[in-house]
Amino acid sequence: MLVADDEPPIRLLCEVNLAVAGIEVLQAADGEEALALARSEEPDLVLLDLMMPNVDGWTVAEELAAEEGTRDIPIVFLTARATTNDRRRAEKLGALGYVLKPFDPVRLAPLVAGVVARCSQGEADELRRERPSELWPADLEG
Amino acid sequence: MRSSTALGWAAAFLAPALISSLDALSNRPSYQLAGFLYLLAVSLAAYLGGFAAGLVATVLATLGLDYFFTPPRYDFIPANGDQAAGVGLFFVVAILISQLFERRRQVQQQAEAATARANRLQAVTARLAEAVTPQEVLDAIVTQGVEAAEARAGAIGLLMTDGETIEIVAQRGYEQNIFVGWESFPLSSDTPMGKAIREEKPFFFSTSAERNAAFKTMATIEGPSHALAILPLVVEARAIGAIAFTFPTEIEFDAERRALKATLAQQAAQAIDRVRLYEAERALRQRMTFLADASELLGSSLDYETTLAQLARLAVPEMATWCSVDILAPDGSIQRLAVAHEDPDRVAWAERLGEEYPPDPDQPMGVPNVIRTMTAEFIPEIADELLVEAAQGDQRLLEIVRELGLRSAITVPLVARGRALGALSLIRDDTAPRYTELDLDLASELARRAASAVDNAGLYREAERRGDASRALAHVDDGVVLLAEDGAIVSINPAAARILAVNEAAVVGETALGSIGGWSEIEDNARPEPGGTRGPVTLPLVLSDGNERWVSVSGVDFGDGAVYALRDVTEERLLERTRSDFVATASHELRTPLAAVLGAVKTLRREDVSFDPDQREMLMDMIDREAERLSGIVGQILLTGQLDAGRLRLEHERFDPVALTKSVVDSAELHLPSGIELRVRAAEDVPAVAGDENQLRQVISNLVDNAIKYSPQGGDVELRLHRNGQFARIEVADSGLGIPRDEHHRIFEKFYRLDPALTRGVNGTGLGLYISKELVERMNGRISVDSEPGRGSTFVVEVPLAI
Repeated sequence: MLVADDEPPIRLLCEVNLAVAGIEVLQAADGEEALALARSEEPDLVLLDLMMPNVDGWTVAEELAAEEGTRDIPIVFLTARATTNDRRRAEKLGALGYVLKPFDPVRLAPLVAGVVARCSQGEADELRRERPSELWPADLEG
Repeated sequence: MRSSTALGWAAAFLAPALISSLDALSNRPSYQLAGFLYLLAVSLAAYLGGFAAGLVATVLATLGLDYFFTPPRYDFIPANGDQAAGVGLFFVVAILISQLFERRRQVQQQAEAATARANRLQAVTARLAEAVTPQEVLDAIVTQGVEAAEARAGAIGLLMTDGETIEIVAQRGYEQNIFVGWESFPLSSDTPMGKAIREEKPFFFSTSAERNAAFKTMATIEGPSHALAILPLVVEARAIGAIAFTFPTEIEFDAERRALKATLAQQAAQAIDRVRLYEAERALRQRMTFLADASELLGSSLDYETTLAQLARLAVPEMATWCSVDILAPDGSIQRLAVAHEDPDRVAWAERLGEEYPPDPDQPMGVPNVIRTMTAEFIPEIADELLVEAAQGDQRLLEIVRELGLRSAITVPLVARGRALGALSLIRDDTAPRYTELDLDLASELARRAASAVDNAGLYREAERRGDASRALAHVDDGVVLLAEDGAIVSINPAAARILAVNEAAVVGETALGSIGGWSEIEDNARPEPGGTRGPVTLPLVLSDGNERWVSVSGVDFGDGAVYALRDVTEERLLERTRSDFVATASHELRTPLAAVLGAVKTLRREDVSFDPDQREMLMDMIDREAERLSGIVGQILLTGQLDAGRLRLEHERFDPVALTKSVVDSAELHLPSGIELRVRAAEDVPAVAGDENQLRQVISNLVDNAIKYSPQGGDVELRLHRNGQFARIEVADSGLGIPRDEHHRIFEKFYRLDPALTRGVNGTGLGLYISKELVERMNGRISVDSEPGRGSTFVVEVPLAI
């Protein structure tokens, strides 16, 4: 699993908590790094921050979706951007989750594991339609 | 004449008697002497008493001569044939003498009569010459003429300007009421005057019967039979009227009488013609004078209300008994601007009446009609029916107007440039002559000049108002664009030209759509309905110079054009956007450290996992650092609020800027990212500065943080200190991303953040530099930047030295 965030504390938190659940974590500090790792390692899921230096999260998501090899990697946004517009944009990009900072890192592992499981069963589109509230928190206010 | 006749008769009887008595007194006068004396007596009687007296005297003298003095005396029978022949001769001679004197007397009498007639005619002429007004002339003609003609009564009828009506303009001596119903009558009527004028021929009737035979209509006139003479008044071979003389008795009109009447008629005609000419000339002169005065008055002032009131007064009393001016108000009502009459009390009364009976704009006649139709109303003769109609059933009003004795009226519209501005009314009562076409012409001319003056005054006022308005518009910050109905720009003020990025002089007269970039947007969103208003709406306009600008526009249509008010809200719009960006940024900035703190705490509190001490330490450290960061952001926001509210109080203390800088660098060193080198290079002689040490620490610390943050690839950050005049200069130089030149002035603005592409994802509240600038300036220092993208930035802070 790839965690792309320019904030080291966030990456650290994700790594610590996902490792507990036995999930191997790759880290990227900016968009460029994230794209490179996604292409080379083909992770099962990308936890993607939106505001990163060099290449931002939107671009990363667009590029991954545009490429044959990375198109099917599920993307869950992990961001402090709280506006409805951002959420809608993420939806359009085919994101499978939108986790708003601050978040509970303890619940992160079961959440992403669930997404990976559904996707591996080919239920990505259903999941997009369902949009479970833990993945798309309802308390987002622009 | 009569007295001399009586004297004649006395002489006829007494003179022969006296001579006869000589016989008794004297002793026998001679027969010849007596005959001579008797002839003298006969001459005297004939001279004084005429032929008849002479004859009587002749008979008496003959008998006296025969009886007393012819022998045989005291006997009528002459003594012999010679004596008889002598008496006969005496008789014949005496008769001849009588006749001789009679003829002489007749000649003298005729001469006297001629003189008397001449005198009477002379009197008529003299009176006529004295008469000035037409009425005086007419009065003189009837008064003197009747006397000169030895008539009982007389009347003058004149042909009116219509050429079809005869009006009795003067009369004298008739019984009352004889002309009731005959004040005027048609020329074509079967009347002596009508016929006399038609045929330009006099008619003389010696008796009433003769008259009635000629004119059946006259048969109803009662009274004793009398003579009547009707003569046409002819001037330049044209009958202008007729004069009638009614005599007390039946008269034979001999040639002499006829001639006298003809002379009178001729004199009258000439006098009437003369006075008419004079009157016409006088009226013309009066009109010219009046027009000249009026024009001068109208040109004298731009205050047309006062001017028109003065004009109304000028028209009174020569032009009118009453003069009023009404003006059409913008709301369509008719307002009485002025009423004039010679008597101020009457004016006040009329004004009250006007208030009581305000004009109805739909009224079918009078001022409202004249204004509505822009056509003059000319009523030469105000008939009673007209008053009844005008009163519209109001008995009180009818009585009032009847009492005014209104005779003749002219109402002319005040029209300028095809628009009715009001009306001018002239009314004469029965003390003044009727209005004629000439008066109508004059009134029309006057109205034309008055309207033009009113219009000019209006235009001038408008121009003046516009002048004022455009002067004001030149100085307001709001843009104002005035469009004509066809969309052409009538005027555009400097602010509008600036906002819309056009040249004021170049676009006036052009259509807005064709000459102002982005106008179609305004047209689509702010164009008002006819007579309506629209907006304000805020629109992004792409202007002629290619720039985009946010403009708040509202439009007002005023019938023959529209005015648009524009305000450049680009700045406000940017500020608004910056502010909402700030809310998003601040929330993001707060959420990120919060997420770290919260996440670390939740992780540490996991019960299913036990972390090794290193991990625990790492997480605890994270909480510490991120909580610090959080508090820094909150502190910045609070500080901004304080700065905005002016509540922040700075210390004024003396401190060493070098020591301060070094301490900032020391604490920054504690968590310096890898690849960043921090250095301080201070000159030896930097003196102490005056200011708030803690706040300056915040500023420098902020600049150092920025330098580190915007050097994502690492590099040197150098702090240089030296003295610059009365300031200590602190430079913070990095070799990081740098800032484009045209952003330099904006980075110190509140909430302003560089384009994310330029900051490559570097976070921030957009408050740091704003706070730094505010703080430095409040310490009477200054802050600036020198930077280029890719070559790093140098921020310069200068703080005044302590004295």
